[in-house]
Amino acid sequence: MMFEITAEPLDPGPLVAAVRRDESGAVALFYGVARNENLGRKVLWLEYDAYPEMAIKKMREVADEVRAKFTVTGVGILHRTGRLEIGETSLLVAVSSGHRKEAFDACHFAVDRIKQIVPVWKKEVFEGGEEWIEGHVPGVEDGSP
Amino acid sequence: MKVNVRLFAGLHQMVGKREIVLDVREGATVRQLRERLGEEYPVTEAFLSTLVCAVGEEYVPGDYVLQEGDMVALIPPVSGG
Repeated sequence: MMFEITAEPLDPGPLVAAVRRDESGAVALFYGVARNENLGRKVLWLEYDAYPEMAIKKMREVADEVRAKFTVTGVGILHRTGRLEIGETSLLVAVSSGHRKEAFDACHFAVDRIKQIVPVWKKEVFEGGEEWIEGHVPGVEDGSP
Repeated sequence: MKVNVRLFAGLHQMVGKREIVLDVREGATVRQLRERLGEEYPVTEAFLSTLVCAVGEEYVPGDYVLQEGDMVALIPPVSGG
């Protein structure tokens, strides 16, 4: 399986190869890409920060959750850091399974969980300013920060 | 005791350092560590309530008791993807 935090452009080829098994009948591949607008603002570029060691650990946890919930043959996650121009890929999630439905569902679940618990942050640089986006407060057992 | 604290994203940008050392009393909780950060760096005060703490690369609750040498990270709301 493949889990990486990298400042280099993301390449889906090796990721798909890493998650595919001979038992796989489907590979679902999700791209998160830098969009040119948010909340009515024209976004110029994005900047991502990460806590790399912990992010890798949490990506592996997401993969464990996926394997516990769905019948899959492989899971891989890559997240980019640093400056991303509009249209560049920030996140790749690949899930393989025997059949397409499990692959789609498991990939969707994985992306949602990544956004909840993996310590990665996005800064939007837009016309007239910039802002670190506050997404999800990652939960601890009692839910209080 | 002294605790090493890693900072990320907006917090890193505000404080201007990737890692700081905070002095807290023995038996301090991560909640008290956050308050200490606010005293040391008042610019962070408005953001303290949103910060979750990770120790040893695992999220911990606010009443977690710190120990000398813990590798602590202050985690703003995450926004990957």
